[in-house]
Amino acid sequence: MTETRTSAGAPPDIPTGRSRRVRGRPLLYTSYAQDMALLDTPAKKVSTGLLVLVAFALAVLLQDRSLEVLAGAYVLAIGAIGLNIVTGYAGQVSLGHAFFVAIGAYTAAALSGPPDGENVGYGVAELWIWLPAAGLVAAAAGVLVAPLATRLRGLYLAVVTLGLVFLGEHIFKEWQELTGGPGVGREAAIPQLLGVRLDQDGPLGTKEQLLYTLMLTLLIVFAVAARNLARSRIGRAFAAIRDRDIAAAVIGVPLTRYKVLAFGVSSFYAGCAGGLLYTISGYVEPGSFNLLLSVQFIAMVLIGGVATVSGAIAGALFISLLQPVTRSLPALVPFISGDTTQTPNVFQVETVLYGLLIVLFLIFEPRGLFGLWIRVRNYWKSWPFSY
Amino acid sequence: MKSRYAVTVVAIAALLSACGVFRGDDQGSGGGPAAQAPGVTTEPCPSAVDRNKGCIYLGTISDLTSGPFAALAVPITDAQKAFWARVNKAGGIGGKYEVDVTRYVKDNKYNPEVHRQVYNEIKDQVLGLAQTLGSPTTAAIIGDLKANNVVSAPASWTSAWEFEDVIVETGSNYCVEAMNSVDYAVDTYQVKSVMAVHLAGDYGADAAAGAKAAAERSGLTFTHVETPTGATEQGRAITEITKNKPDLVILTTGPADAATIVGQSAAAGYKGRFIGTGPTWNPALLQSPAAPALKALYEQSAPGKPWDADTPGHKAMREALPGVTPNDGYTSGWAWAYPMKAALDAMVAGGNVSRSGLLAAVKTLKTVDYEGMLPAEAGNFADPSAVFRQTLINKVDDKATTGVTMVKDFFTGPTAQAYTFDGPCFSKL
Repeated sequence: MTETRTSAGAPPDIPTGRSRRVRGRPLLYTSYAQDMALLDTPAKKVSTGLLVLVAFALAVLLQDRSLEVLAGAYVLAIGAIGLNIVTGYAGQVSLGHAFFVAIGAYTAAALSGPPDGENVGYGVAELWIWLPAAGLVAAAAGVLVAPLATRLRGLYLAVVTLGLVFLGEHIFKEWQELTGGPGVGREAAIPQLLGVRLDQDGPLGTKEQLLYTLMLTLLIVFAVAARNLARSRIGRAFAAIRDRDIAAAVIGVPLTRYKVLAFGVSSFYAGCAGGLLYTISGYVEPGSFNLLLSVQFIAMVLIGGVATVSGAIAGALFISLLQPVTRSLPALVPFISGDTTQTPNVFQVETVLYGLLIVLFLIFEPRGLFGLWIRVRNYWKSWPFSY
Repeated sequence: MKSRYAVTVVAIAALLSACGVFRGDDQGSGGGPAAQAPGVTTEPCPSAVDRNKGCIYLGTISDLTSGPFAALAVPITDAQKAFWARVNKAGGIGGKYEVDVTRYVKDNKYNPEVHRQVYNEIKDQVLGLAQTLGSPTTAAIIGDLKANNVVSAPASWTSAWEFEDVIVETGSNYCVEAMNSVDYAVDTYQVKSVMAVHLAGDYGADAAAGAKAAAERSGLTFTHVETPTGATEQGRAITEITKNKPDLVILTTGPADAATIVGQSAAAGYKGRFIGTGPTWNPALLQSPAAPALKALYEQSAPGKPWDADTPGHKAMREALPGVTPNDGYTSGWAWAYPMKAALDAMVAGGNVSRSGLLAAVKTLKTVDYEGMLPAEAGNFADPSAVFRQTLINKVDDKATTGVTMVKDFFTGPTAQAYTFDGPCFSKL
């Protein structure tokens, strides 16, 4: 808004519009547009571009199994960004993320499932229909729940959203036509784009390559959308509410509207992530949407870095890659067994590591992986005079 | 500081190359250029007896840690390792291959979603599955098994497997087992009402459907209660039993669930009979608080004879597993491996060592040599309409090695005899 007003050009001493950048001075901004830009330094532009290129190149470089893991990580990253919007940016602690993920997963599965199958199905396998639908249904549920958030704060809100997970768990276990019931489950959503099944090997690549590319593209779309939301008026309102809701109300931020919006957008992300997540393995069981899933999302946000989109992505990658990395331990550390019937095995090591890492991060680097990155960046910024 | 980064980079690079992350080094099948078909190599097995033989890799997906059948699944898996070790020692498959069932062992936690995930992890590395535990879990991968001709030995007895070519099942299904149990109870205890207490899905619902068919034939009143897994989740089932007081309860749950149901129903004054399907029993239940109630009220129906039966197969199993605590998980696991061995033998003899060759070999099997553990006609895979219909009844006996002794040898009840299998039983519940 500020930019548009300046570009209308009233006071002569404020530079208008997109003025030229000064060479060799990356941190000198000569207009509001530069200051507010998504990628505000040339270094960021180059490195982000490279990162995206490398990420797409991985589709032809990595093994199918690794691509499958990364595709899952990208979907979880979409979910983590969603949680970061409501918990990180708007400061409303939510333990109910698994509930919204479940709504998305089942909306997508029901829409794309075969109409004559064992479970509810409408035969709409096109991704561009069921994905927004999954998001919207979850968002509607989020908006329904949001009035609670406007009346509650902090720990009370956390406990109420925790209740959502248990409510959801019960509903999804009992609603057998939709979910197949506990211990049975159902086929997940079918990813089909303009008639091309993405969960089958085809002329365009293997199943894993197709899914990887799809998830990466969607992650970029969702991440850019979240970044844009965060640096808009809405994002600033979220931050104001997070930092002190009474003060925000006093300066004219409508609390109810923005809290409802935060829950709605966050649930939309969760719903989309839910719809996509289970297309990779192709099967979904109602027991998956428990408190542990919510906690995992919180861990991604905490380990990655609160209120940063790149942090949420890093956290999701970290949590998802922890498992395959520990699974490869038996090849390197001979006394750890890959066989579940022996002790110590990788699965035990994995459980221990998971808890240990959360504890260590919260103690030594509360800003998460994003904080680590800031440290590394600052070290090299002042190099060779850093100490 | 700089050296620390260097060390990190080197470590990450080493780790990535160690797990074979990069595309192209051994994409697809398990053995690089030496591979012939998925899961078949000319290289010897990792723990080969004879290093001149090739290797056939079979996957195992079982309930190894936290699921309701872990107490049975670990012995099943161990018995199958011993079974294939014995096969390898005796010259392998057709003198050309040995079989490895130790490299691809995965835990499904008795969860269909996890089952599908771990199956995706190993499916390109194995020729077939030596074990896929559970009915609803295997149902989650059956589409892929059929699409890729992955011949699999189930660790479950649902009637759906009678209609799947890729599944080489052993022994009677739960549906037949429950029919025979109800017929047995009608003869022995003159029961007038039956309640089936069962888990959801193909396992529990299959037995309940069998009990329903037998009850309808004998004019008994029939009710059924679905119950979740977990010893603390059985409240509703116990209330239904003590409220309705059926003469006979057919149980299809996990062992811990069964003990809770029997123990607490008896404590609440229930005096009827319980007959549980094979997987409801675990000798450890004799140490549980429910032991007296189990001894008084419970019998186990089973698709095969218990641990200390006197057949060459049982004897070979006991010799191959010295020093283990006897458990009929071992017995079932051992017996389940015979049809797979017969199919592999036929495949290698036929010369087409591949997934389609194995499936074709399965379809030629008219009998399987179970070394006396089961009648040879139980292994008829050539005739899709052939359904093996004999089960037996065990009673709890704390002097027996696995806590049960046989009270009725292999028999076919009148219901099972007359029943026409035209689809999975559980769809008719």
